[in-house]
Amino acid sequence: MSPAPRSHSIVITSDYRVPEPERVWPLLQSRKRELAEIGAQSVLVYTSTHDYGRVMVTILVRSREPIRELLRSRVFFEWFDAVGVEDIPAVFAGEIVKRFEPSPRLDAEAPGVIVAAMASVHDIPMLLDEIGAGLGRFTAAGVRKTWVFRAFDDGHEVMILQELDDEDRARKWIEDPDVAAPWIAGAGVGAYPPVFIGKFFDMMRIEE
Amino acid sequence: MFVCLCNGITSQVVADAIAGGASTTKEISKACGAGAECGRCRRTLRKLLGTPSGERSG
Repeated sequence: MSPAPRSHSIVITSDYRVPEPERVWPLLQSRKRELAEIGAQSVLVYTSTHDYGRVMVTILVRSREPIRELLRSRVFFEWFDAVGVEDIPAVFAGEIVKRFEPSPRLDAEAPGVIVAAMASVHDIPMLLDEIGAGLGRFTAAGVRKTWVFRAFDDGHEVMILQELDDEDRARKWIEDPDVAAPWIAGAGVGAYPPVFIGKFFDMMRIEE
Repeated sequence: MFVCLCNGITSQVVADAIAGGASTTKEISKACGAGAECGRCRRTLRKLLGTPSGERSG
């Protein structure tokens, strides 16, 4: 008898537009049981600050299922139906590879602005080195945190989640990104959504 | 990116189908299965049809 497959942590993120963004959170809460059934441990919702109706939803799942089987789950299709999304967006599925979180500044206690991008880069280990070497510049530009996720299906694909001090600094970061932030230029290409600028809306933890 | 959730097809596989000559969403479905079931990923497939393959940043 072969051993049961080990469970693994998967970060699933999709970015899409809904007709009524205020319905997203209550609908997610009403699906807690179904989310628990697929191994979801937490769900985070971000809403765009400048693009009404655009949301980014990240689900952390712990599952023994292969990712393809997981994504075929009726939970996702029923979810898109419920929030009124007809065209299903491309979905990022991967894992966290590095968190860059310099010590928080005393003046940075207010909630920041989230900048998220998915893109293809040449070399992920090199990118991590470049971010590490450029952290001083990142901080000077108002970047508080940088989280790097690597896709399971493509060795070049990353999702980068950053928290910046405010919307002005977020816009400057996108318009004139640091040399160690090449993913900004790669967002919006092909299946990748354009750079997301938004705020953390809420987080739901799901008991096993 | 997973483009077609029904069949678990990624954007890379779709890009390969396009590089292999698929020039419509129907041809992509025939080549790799993306969009062959519910068809709700066709908008993304159309976007990929307009993208030069292999674009990377950094």
